[in-house]
Order: sequence, then C-alpha cells, then structure tokens
Amino acid sequence: MKKHKNAVTGSIVVGALALLAGMMPAQSPQPKREDDLAVIVNPVNSVDSISSVELRKYFTGEKRSWRANLPVFLVVRAPEARERAVLLSHVLHMTESEYKQYWVKKVYSGEVPREPLVLFSNGTQLEAVRTERGGIALISAKDVRSGVKTIKIDGLLPGTADYPLR
Amino acid sequence: MWRIFAIGSLAALLTGRALAQNTQPSELDTIKALLQEVADLKARVAALEARHEQPVTGEAANAPAVEPPKQPEVAPSESNAEFGVFRGIKFAGFGALSFKASDARPPESALLGFRDHSSSSFAVGDTSLFITSHLNSKASVLGEITFSETAEQGFEIDVERLLLKYELNDYLKLSFGRYHTAVSYYNQVFHHGQWLQTAVDRPLVVEFSDHGGLLPSQAVGVSVTGQVPSGHLGLNYILEYGTSDTHRPTVDGSGSAEIEEDNGQSTIVGLFARPDGLPGLEAGGSFYHDRIQPNGGPLHMGQSVVSAHVVYVTPRYEFINEGFVVQHNVQETGQTFNTPAFYSLISAKLGGRWRPYFRYQYVNANSPVFPDVKLRHGPSAGLRYELNDYVALKAQIDRTLRSSLAAFNALNFQLAFRF
Repeated sequence: MKKHKNAVTGSIVVGALALLAGMMPAQSPQPKREDDLAVIVNPVNSVDSISSVELRKYFTGEKRSWRANLPVFLVVRAPEARERAVLLSHVLHMTESEYKQYWVKKVYSGEVPREPLVLFSNGTQLEAVRTERGGIALISAKDVRSGVKTIKIDGLLPGTADYPLR
Repeated sequence: MWRIFAIGSLAALLTGRALAQNTQPSELDTIKALLQEVADLKARVAALEARHEQPVTGEAANAPAVEPPKQPEVAPSESNAEFGVFRGIKFAGFGALSFKASDARPPESALLGFRDHSSSSFAVGDTSLFITSHLNSKASVLGEITFSETAEQGFEIDVERLLLKYELNDYLKLSFGRYHTAVSYYNQVFHHGQWLQTAVDRPLVVEFSDHGGLLPSQAVGVSVTGQVPSGHLGLNYILEYGTSDTHRPTVDGSGSAEIEEDNGQSTIVGLFARPDGLPGLEAGGSFYHDRIQPNGGPLHMGQSVVSAHVVYVTPRYEFINEGFVVQHNVQETGQTFNTPAFYSLISAKLGGRWRPYFRYQYVNANSPVFPDVKLRHGPSAGLRYELNDYVALKAQIDRTLRSSLAAFNALNFQLAFRF
C-alpha cells in the first residue's frame, strides 16, 4: 500500500513538473540555414553579387538602376510575411509604420516614381521577377524556382555560414 | 503503475503545451496569414502549372559557398502582364486644420489662411493634391496642385509642381517643367502638405515665397540630378536652369504690398554627399544666382544664395541644420547687402507615436528686398503625435524676437493628414 502511495505521489510530482514545463512559453527557434532568404533577380541581369549596403540602397530607392541602364524594379511581400519581416529588420531597420511613411515621403518628394510592388505570395514574386528584367525580391530559398537568378550578398549564398538574411 | 505515471505525465505535458500555445495570440495571426497565402497560392497554381519548371533542390539552395546553381535560362515572360508599369493616374492628398494664437502687437500678417487683424483663428491653409503617373520604366509625371486658403476663406489654385521625369540611370535623371528649386535642402525634401514635416510650419527662411519666405522656391525649367562616382562617399549633383517669378507678401503686419522680384533666368549648382558608413547622414550645399528688378523699380540687382546643410534623418531621429547667405548686389550703386539666416531642428520618436521636437531659427535681413523682416530669431518647441499612418496631431509654442518690434509668443495646434 505504501509502495502504491509513493508511486502515485511521484506520478503527481513529475506530472506537475511536466505541466509547468509545458506551460513555459515555447522559445522561438533559432533560424536555420534552410530558412535563409534568397535575393533573386531576373536572369538577364548581369549582376551576380552585391553587398549588404547595396541591398539596402536598392530597397530604399537610393539606387534606381542596374548596369546597362536597366531600371530597378522592387518587389516586396505584404505585411505578415517572413520575407517582409526580414527585409524590415535585417536590411532597412524600420518598423512597418516607418516603412510606409518612408515611401510616402520618398514618392512625393519626387525622388522616386513609385513605391515597391507589394505581392501576397512567393509565387507571384517569382512571376514578377521573371517578367520584369530589372526585378529584385527577397524570397525563401526553399521557394526559388527556375527563371530567376539567386545573387550573392557580401559574397555569400543562402545556406552558408554568416549569411546575412537568415 | 508506471504506465499510469507515464500516461499522466504525457497528458500533463501536452495540456501544458496547449495552454502555452493558447497564450500566444500572434500565432493565430500567423495561421491566418498562412491560410491567406495558401489561398493565394492556389489561385496561382493553374498559371504556374502551365509553365515548364523544376524546383531547385534543397541541396542547391543550401549548398555552402558554391556558385549559384545553374538554373535553366528562361527568357523573361512575354505575357501582357506588366508588373512594372501602372497605367493611369494615381492621386494622393494632404490637408490640415490649424489653429494659431499670437500676442504679437500689431498682429503679424495673416498668411496660410489665418484671419487678418486677429490674434487667433483657425485655417485650413494649403490642401495639396499629388498626382503621379508612370509612363514606362524610365519616365513618369509628377504633379502637385495646391488649393491655398486666403484670409477671406477663399481658395487660390496653384500648380506648384508639374514635372515630366526621365531617369536614364543613377547618374542622369532629368526633370522638365515646374519644380521646387534646390536652393535649400528643405525646399527639395518637404513640399506642400503639412503632414510631411515634423513641425507645424516651415522655418521662415525656407517658407514658400508666396507665404513670406525669403528664397526663390519655385522655377520653370530643367532640373538634372544624379550620382557622382565616388565610392562610399555617395556624392550627388544637382543642376537647375529655369525662370522664377518670386513674389512674397510682407510678414510684419505693416500692410505693405507684395514684393515682386521680377526675376530673370536662374541657375543652381548643388553637391551633396550621403556616405555609406552612416545611413541618414547628408551634407552638402548649393549656389543660386539670378538677376532681379524688385517691383519693376529703378534698381537692378544680382541675387545670389549660398546654402549649406548637414542633416541626419532616420525613421527615429531627425537633426536638420541649414545655413544661408542671401546677397544682393545693386548694379546702379555698387552696394552689397548680405542676409544671413539659419535654422536647426532636432526631434526623436518616443514609443512609436510621440515625437517631441525643438527648432531654432534666425534671419538677419539687411536688404531692401526684405524690408519687413529685419532681425528675427527665436525658438520653437513642439510635440507631434501619430494617431495612425495617416493622421498626426501637433502642438507647438513659438517665441519670436524682433529687432524693431516687441517679441511675441504664438501657440499652434494642427491636425495634419494624408488621404
């Protein structure tokens, strides 16, 4: 009887500990290499590698053309998408609200003709970059398909150590 | 017994995990976003299946330090879908409701829609319609039409900017039409639409000339800008050649008539740097020159404006400093009049919505072209609150010291919005 009571007590204690452990907020997993975001451009674009600074300049509208006078065409994901979150936090260092206000001021100062094109899926991002010769977009490396070209950032491809868009 | 123990522990663990998940409402948003994305993707499946494509393998995407995978060269789609060009005209607007109370004696001139001979009044001020139209990947049109409220609550329509813009590349960008001159940093970056600027109003020296400002703020002609190959220094140039026709009302409440400068052709040369090492920093200057004949009178003058600016602007911080010397050389007498001026504005965003700011401005007008201004200087302190991405509330206190009249204080409130 005593043995049975000890077992029940032990079960309750361990169960309570397990319950507490389960109630602990789930820690956000560290991004893995397979979560890397690729920077894609149209295959006709002769650029194969850009720096982080250049990436920021493209996505802030400071650089507006590729080589051979090819106009840059910016494509971004809509709010809530991971690609957009990484663009804002790793590249532009802005909040969503700051990003919107930035582009309103940029367009109406006359510095750029339009805001980046906002799309709701990686599929449409791929299609836009395939269609537009000057297109550039951030997309999950797992979703990269043919018809676009992945370029290096600071000499690194997605999946390598120290890749900046993770 | 151990089976009971194990099952109990597992049940407790799962229950706890479920409870923990229930405490994270952001995951619901994520699920909603994912569902939306799935719906979008389903809508694209038919089109995507029609294309001949093979997924790039995970190994290729994850391959460390290798050249980009040799993906099949697929010619850009010849479909009629043009992601890059939006046909038609896009409108956006900016408006504001302002209230101003001042203890100036006699009252200063009523500008920007405020009532004459009144110590306090409401005004709508300038309502601006911005028009953009994308012609092709390199050409666009930008228009800015402003409805300016008068002291009698009438409205005057003015085409502030109308530009056909063509960007050959980063080094050569051409604009043809009516533009806000590069005579100052503020004039280039902040246009009509009080929502765009942090403070309630513009510093006097860079106020639009038809609202009492000292500089020729508009011209019709050609503007050429672009980058200068300069590596990490980030040099840019500006060249403008056009015709301005500056007319400015007096600001001191004396009731004097507007001053018509009868400007000739104007030339602007400017250079500024945006170093890669500190995003948001810009330093530069410009030189403006034209010839004027104030009010068609007997005097002919050469007018030159030298400006220099150092600004640091990020989404969170704003530190704008700009200085000027306006020089008038009278051809008939050989006299030279110099008018130095500067302003400095600093602000920081607190908690995402609040932005306190402080500004100091100084003008020491020593020219027959600015007889109403003389020495004026003083601080402004204010607070801007963003209700959302479209509406901002501002409150501002000004103290202005004048050399020929008593100092005065002003209290301003403004509801500025875009639509």
